[in-house]
Amino acid sequence: MILLPNKNKKVAIIVSILLIAGSLGYLALGNFGENIVYFVTPSEVKAFTPETYTKKVRVGGMVVKGSLKTQPEPVGLTFELTDGAATIPVAFQGIPPDLFKEGQGAVVEGQWNDGQTFRSTMIMAKHSEDYMPMELKRAGVELPKKDFMKTLSP
Amino acid sequence: MTGLYTRWAIIVGGLLLLAMMTNQQYQRDLSTLSLATVLNSPGTSEPVRIQGMVKSGTLSGDVEQGQATFELIDGPTTLPVEYAGPPLENIRELKTMVLIGQLDKATKTFKAQDTALINNFEFVAAAYLLTVISLCWVLFAMSQRVMVLFKEIKDEKLYEPESDPLAKQE
Amino acid sequence: MLNRFIRYIQRYKGWFGGAAVICLFLGLYTGLLASPADYYQGELVRIMYVHVPLAHTSTLAYSVLFFGSIWYLWKRDPLVDNMCQASAGICALFTALALITGSIWAKPTWNTWWTWDPRLVSFSVLLLILGGYLMLRKLVDDPERGGRYAAILAIVGGIDLPIIKFSVEWWRTLHQPMSFSTRGVAISDDILVPLTLMSIGAWLLFAYMVMVRTQILYLSNLLQAKKGRLFSQTHFSQTSP
Repeated sequence: MILLPNKNKKVAIIVSILLIAGSLGYLALGNFGENIVYFVTPSEVKAFTPETYTKKVRVGGMVVKGSLKTQPEPVGLTFELTDGAATIPVAFQGIPPDLFKEGQGAVVEGQWNDGQTFRSTMIMAKHSEDYMPMELKRAGVELPKKDFMKTLSP
Repeated sequence: MTGLYTRWAIIVGGLLLLAMMTNQQYQRDLSTLSLATVLNSPGTSEPVRIQGMVKSGTLSGDVEQGQATFELIDGPTTLPVEYAGPPLENIRELKTMVLIGQLDKATKTFKAQDTALINNFEFVAAAYLLTVISLCWVLFAMSQRVMVLFKEIKDEKLYEPESDPLAKQE
Repeated sequence: MLNRFIRYIQRYKGWFGGAAVICLFLGLYTGLLASPADYYQGELVRIMYVHVPLAHTSTLAYSVLFFGSIWYLWKRDPLVDNMCQASAGICALFTALALITGSIWAKPTWNTWWTWDPRLVSFSVLLLILGGYLMLRKLVDDPERGGRYAAILAIVGGIDLPIIKFSVEWWRTLHQPMSFSTRGVAISDDILVPLTLMSIGAWLLFAYMVMVRTQILYLSNLLQAKKGRLFSQTHFSQTSP
């Protein structure tokens, strides 16, 4: 047991209570559920006004099948991201993560800076909750998973 | 208490055995060769596993039917690949892939029959080692603490009745 | 009632420990050697076999702490208080390990070690609550008062549990939705076997660890009480005329 002088002890108790009260307050009152949205959807991006063009945001959606194109020099790619209702073009420079794939989910970070293309600086792959070996996948098995578009706007 | 140490010797031994077996399987079934090693090796009929990134703008063929040609890059080395096998589920340009097949010495192309996903085995090993080692450490510390406590209780004769009336409440 | 149950089940804790070791060994063997790779994640799916059991065992541990704290405030049973303290410490360990293994899994799959995703944030809040709980117990001098305050804290912190559980369903997250839900089971049998074995092993291990830790706390409290009494006796005999 750490032996602290009484005064320090009181300070430590107050600090620990504040720490917890703060984190709980953040959860309960800090509009954790409503205002702090982890990502926006392509439909919401399309509704952006010019003031928000330069704001750094995260956009989540599904990579449209057949839309992926890569460039060798400088290494990068362009693709389209959809939430079912709206589709936005995304440009990215660099090498995407290995699990990034057409027909799968992705969350991209960047700016909708000219109101035309989403310039992304970082791609995160959003994988689904089904797990099966390759043999089953090749045999065409589909496991009951949540419809991807529903995970975008609960 | 020799029982405690014997038990832990068995557990640690079992874990080491498991780690050795996993390492063996990894070396046998999952480890890959670099493109340079394959290009410089004398061609064999045994299939080998190579790892590299699909070069941008080189993928062509019918991916759904399992027919494709592309170039694989690994640092400065480039290797053309002809793939014929099961449908390519996971392929795209700028993706690191593992291919299973043989090198055709004459044409310097790689004939691949199957693909696998990149084996980020170091991440798996890190997660398992961290969990197992920290849990074992905590468990061992706990059982040692119990041992020390029992000894202290014996020395203190805690179980013997005290003259103090407080001791009677259990 | 709970007191008698704890005393009764303590006698059989060796069985829990033994069963946990067997389950975990079988789980590690199937998870590392005798199960297939995932079609999309490849070998990385093996991290799930440690991450998921750790994560839901930590929520189980917090549930034990939560209900134990209610019981303690109601009956003021010191043995239940010991059990609460024990599960809080072990819950903190499991939560920290779940967060770290999750981070190791996220880097190669999501392409980031950490992101401000609702599931990740709410789970880290659990670790903060537990840190506060353990600190409070350490810092309040009077153990009974410390136990009471800590129990209140644990009960208030309980609102984090449903938030963690449903964060992936209520809000937009990078974390995948639940694999076990009303939709069915989205995991194939080959992958379910090691996951189930490791989960059962983790629950048993948690039960065993709580029992040992409760015993340690209970016995060291007894020892301290006895030493305190001896000290006051000698002190009294020396100072009295």
